[in-house]
Amino acid sequence: MDTPQLIENFLQSLTAGLLTGTIYGLLCVGLTLIFGVMRVINFAQGDFMMLGMYFAFYCFGAIGGQIVFGDVIGPFVAALLAGPAVFIAGLIAHKALVAQVTGTGAAALEAEGHYAQLILTLGLSLVLQNAGLFAFGSAPVSISTPLSYSAWEIGPLYGDRISVFVNQGQTIAALLAIGVAVGFALLLGRTRLGRSLRAAADNPRAAIYMGIDVERAYRLAFGFGVGITAIGGGLLASSYPFQPYVGLEYVIVMYAGVVLGGLGSVRGAFFGGLTIGLVQQLSALILPTQLQNTAIFVAFLAIILLRPQGLFGTAARRA
Amino acid sequence: MLEIADLSVAYGRIPVLHGVTLRVGTGELVAVVGPNGAGKSTLFNAISGLAPVTSGTIRFDGRDLAGVPPARRARLGIAHVPEGRQVFPSLTVRENLEIGAYTDAGRAAWGQTLERIYTWFPVLAERGRQAAGTLSGGEQQMLAIARGLASSPRLLMLDEPSMGLAPAVADEIFERIVAIHRERAMSILLVEQRVAEALHFADRAYVLETGRVILEGDHATLKDDDRVRRAYLGM
Amino acid sequence: MSAKVSTKGVSGKVSKNVSDTFFAQRRVSFGVLGRKRCLTRFSHRWWILAFVALYGVVALFVTNSYQQLIMTVVPVWAVMGLSWNLLSGYSGLISFGHASFFGIGAYFVVLALIELDLTPWIGIPIAGLLGALAGLVIGIPTFRLRGHYFALAMLAYPLALLYVFEWLGYQEVAVPMKRDAPAAYMQFADQRVYVFLALALLLAAMIVTRLVERSRFGRSLLAIKQDETAAEASGIDTLRWKLKAITLSGAMAGVVGGFYAVVLLIVTPPAVFGMLVSAQALVVAMFGGVGTVWGPVIGAATLVPLADILHARLGHIVPGIQGVIYGLAIIAVVRLAPEGVFWRVRDVLANATASRRPAVGAALAPTPRDASASVACDTRTESHGAPFETAGGRERLSDDRTELAPTESAPARAAEIDRRRRTERPSNAPVVLEVRGLTKAFGGLHAVKDVSLDVREGEILGIIGPNGAGKTTLFNLLNGFTAPDAGRVRLYGDDVTGARPNRICRRGIGRTFQVVKPFARMTVAENVVIGAYVRAARDDDAAALAHRALETVGLAGAADRIAGQLTNRELRLMELARALASQPKLLLLDEILAGLSHDEVRELIGLIARLPELGITVVIIEHTMHAMVRLVDRFVVLDHGAVLASGDPDSVTRDPAVIEAYLGRKWLEGHARDR
Repeated sequence: MDTPQLIENFLQSLTAGLLTGTIYGLLCVGLTLIFGVMRVINFAQGDFMMLGMYFAFYCFGAIGGQIVFGDVIGPFVAALLAGPAVFIAGLIAHKALVAQVTGTGAAALEAEGHYAQLILTLGLSLVLQNAGLFAFGSAPVSISTPLSYSAWEIGPLYGDRISVFVNQGQTIAALLAIGVAVGFALLLGRTRLGRSLRAAADNPRAAIYMGIDVERAYRLAFGFGVGITAIGGGLLASSYPFQPYVGLEYVIVMYAGVVLGGLGSVRGAFFGGLTIGLVQQLSALILPTQLQNTAIFVAFLAIILLRPQGLFGTAARRA
Repeated sequence: MLEIADLSVAYGRIPVLHGVTLRVGTGELVAVVGPNGAGKSTLFNAISGLAPVTSGTIRFDGRDLAGVPPARRARLGIAHVPEGRQVFPSLTVRENLEIGAYTDAGRAAWGQTLERIYTWFPVLAERGRQAAGTLSGGEQQMLAIARGLASSPRLLMLDEPSMGLAPAVADEIFERIVAIHRERAMSILLVEQRVAEALHFADRAYVLETGRVILEGDHATLKDDDRVRRAYLGM
Repeated sequence: MSAKVSTKGVSGKVSKNVSDTFFAQRRVSFGVLGRKRCLTRFSHRWWILAFVALYGVVALFVTNSYQQLIMTVVPVWAVMGLSWNLLSGYSGLISFGHASFFGIGAYFVVLALIELDLTPWIGIPIAGLLGALAGLVIGIPTFRLRGHYFALAMLAYPLALLYVFEWLGYQEVAVPMKRDAPAAYMQFADQRVYVFLALALLLAAMIVTRLVERSRFGRSLLAIKQDETAAEASGIDTLRWKLKAITLSGAMAGVVGGFYAVVLLIVTPPAVFGMLVSAQALVVAMFGGVGTVWGPVIGAATLVPLADILHARLGHIVPGIQGVIYGLAIIAVVRLAPEGVFWRVRDVLANATASRRPAVGAALAPTPRDASASVACDTRTESHGAPFETAGGRERLSDDRTELAPTESAPARAAEIDRRRRTERPSNAPVVLEVRGLTKAFGGLHAVKDVSLDVREGEILGIIGPNGAGKTTLFNLLNGFTAPDAGRVRLYGDDVTGARPNRICRRGIGRTFQVVKPFARMTVAENVVIGAYVRAARDDDAAALAHRALETVGLAGAADRIAGQLTNRELRLMELARALASQPKLLLLDEILAGLSHDEVRELIGLIARLPELGITVVIIEHTMHAMVRLVDRFVVLDHGAVLASGDPDSVTRDPAVIEAYLGRKWLEGHARDR
């Protein structure tokens, strides 16, 4: 392979890594609210993402999003609508289940409820996956739009030997992911609600002294967490096929990204997810495709063992 | 304003308060003093609804607080400035104050209150955009008090505001507390290890030892009572 | 009450030791509370045997091959659950990565059979060794992490391996049929043989778990789970025990993974390295109950058939419904029994018993009747004057320092002791602890600032000071929790600065904590014995040391009560006994009187006042000044991390600097004017 070819491959992988990584970043922003901020291990996070994917799928297809918004905008509208829908599902799941084994509900449990959280969210994960199988069937589906198959060509560069193709659907999805992440960061930073959530996470006891209903704040944080991940799922749905067990594949990507970014930091989580996407796509240049995922896990292990505060986190960010 | 009658508190099998009776009148500065482990912070937590009350009543403005959830109590006009500051470290100074003002009364008076807070604690105005976790101990204590004031409370509860601070800083904070009390006729319930200062400025004081009120009275009667010294130093 | 020390020779072979320990039922506890507990203890091993025998008999009569397969798979997952439980259930470090060991075992057995023609009869034991090795290799770097980080790191190992095996081209590896000599290759036409083999593995795993559970191994792990730092302070080398646990756990998972390959005949990466393998191990254990041999067995015996039956009955009619029901069952159990079925049932039974027989409930006080009941039950009791093996070699422990009179009259004697001690205060006794220029800052705050002090043998030194003065930080520096920024700590002249807490405990510094965290479900004796391991090579010796410590604090009568039922006073005494069981030369007591009534304080200070008679020097942090002034020989007053004053109680309590620190400057000024 000659040099221009190598450069082209590299640029192509870099582009793919940035586009997927941005959506991974959004998935991680959702998880970091739950895992990074509230310190709850939610195994069902990937399954809430799956719900978001199927919501977008049916919203676009069966419910008529395609007819109302058309082939081009429809999938993205459907993906954004998955957010509020799964947000509500998250509120219900938190109130009915998760609250019993977290926060004040966990005080009396062994290991501060960690055991109970794990097994409960594993159970929830099983229920969601299999209910998905029952409701949606096991055949992989995807939201196909004209944009999924069209790309902008950058180039030819370097004479006419290098051109990079940028998938249009993925680019719009990535821009939307950035938009949602920024919007949510603004919500957390600038609004009364966002400040309450941060205060409740920062120092729950002092938050109670301030008249903040901490249980409610946790419930909302859980809802936002799964809702944002669901939007990420909805955005992925137009470029990758999925089935009800898809959550398992992504749950690890998400945890890796959150830990990489440093627990509790929204910005860190976003860049953590982005890094995971880049590692995944760039590793394909030097490793066989089967080992792409191994590369993610090895990178994750190296970072967690050598720099547990995360690549982008500062240890003092949150005690 | 605040009436506590025969209050007992126990954590599991460990009793902490035994039949404590205490009163804070409108505009009064009342001090609770006593050695460490006497149950002062537990008393505060009971008032805020965060300690398990086994018997007795707590009334605020004549209303029995039993069954009122902790977060509601803040909205009734009780501001609890906890021991050890407990600011929100990753939020900015300004955000800490804004959260303090999340009560109805606090929101209504926000502009005026903020102005007053900045007059009392000018350093907070300078540090407005800084994360609270990066402030010094004394500044954090000022922020904690200011955050309590931001809710426009009718009762301000201060738990050991001088704890862990250098004497000069503690003196400064004490002066501000007295100023706030005088200027706003604020009702204040103060727990303080610096007994002499507490007794000097308080209208009345209670001496707590191993969960019981062993003495009560005004400055004049308590300052010469050797039992106060013995409660602290044992002999 | 009598110590239970077997004088039987136990220096024999390991195998003899193992069977001995399991069947002779030696135990750490000393004596038994009434007949009922005696029965439960008795039945533990018989329950295991009865369960296995019953299972075997049922298997004999099952002819349906599908049911036979389920009966083989149940013990497989039970062993996997036990393997997970051994590490995570006892030590509290949650592993999502047990599939690593399982998959390595499975692939080794099948690949060795194909490539090397190695029979599984040999391959499976080697798979165990490989599992153990993998455990060690994974454990060494990963134990630097705690809590959620540990769990997540463990998740990554099997998944990384999964893709490596796919890449290596082992997507689907089948066990070759050996028609010439099937039995030699663990291939049987009669499926029941597999049931028995699986059952044999389960029996072995249960025996190993029981042995671990009731030895210092299991108790050390439990101590880590409860509070890793406190465990270190009790002389437990936490890293060593965690590594042992993951090695043994990896071995169990490797063996059962290898066996699973033989049973299922086909090995694929997702089936043995997949997340569902780790999840299944964790789910059966948590469902049944962690930290007990029965939990994983109950979990596997319930969930594995349930999942399969649901799959077979409903799976083809409504796809996914079985998973929904399975998941809901798990959720329901978490809601009803957050710590697992076993513990829930046990607590319900215990409460039922307690309400029927109020004498055995929380209100039970140790009485002579209990003592006699226990002796009657425990017929193999030996005298407790048996020889002990201590860390320094064999010697009799019953020398003067441990020979103590009962403490019933302690409160009454306290005042007298006070007076006597005052006059005999050692002034030229050797220095036990020498602290020079000790300094520690957190962020910009100097928690401890240039502290120097000497503690002399036989002295009781009180450390006092306002809140936040740095007292507990000073203790943390002395026992090795925190490394100082500057300064030295010497114990009998040996520099121990910066040594790990378990080493410092071994050297002779014991410690108690402000917040007592007992093992609520263990007996008092079992709680205390953890402290004794550092001084005793054998568990029996540790038990005897623990018993002696309990006698010293006057809690011997309560040795067999459940710690969760103790009063605050008894908890404090138990905590003290745990520290004493390590036979410290120097004991650091951190607010041991907190929350006690006047009478209880008096009792406890009477007890502490007598510790120097046992050769124990005491440094105590305490706020209750009226108790302190009667107890201590000397005070060191800390304020803002530095030594403000030191001296005897009379002079210190009159020292203007101390009065100012405690009562404020205005107090001093006011009173100066008055005079």
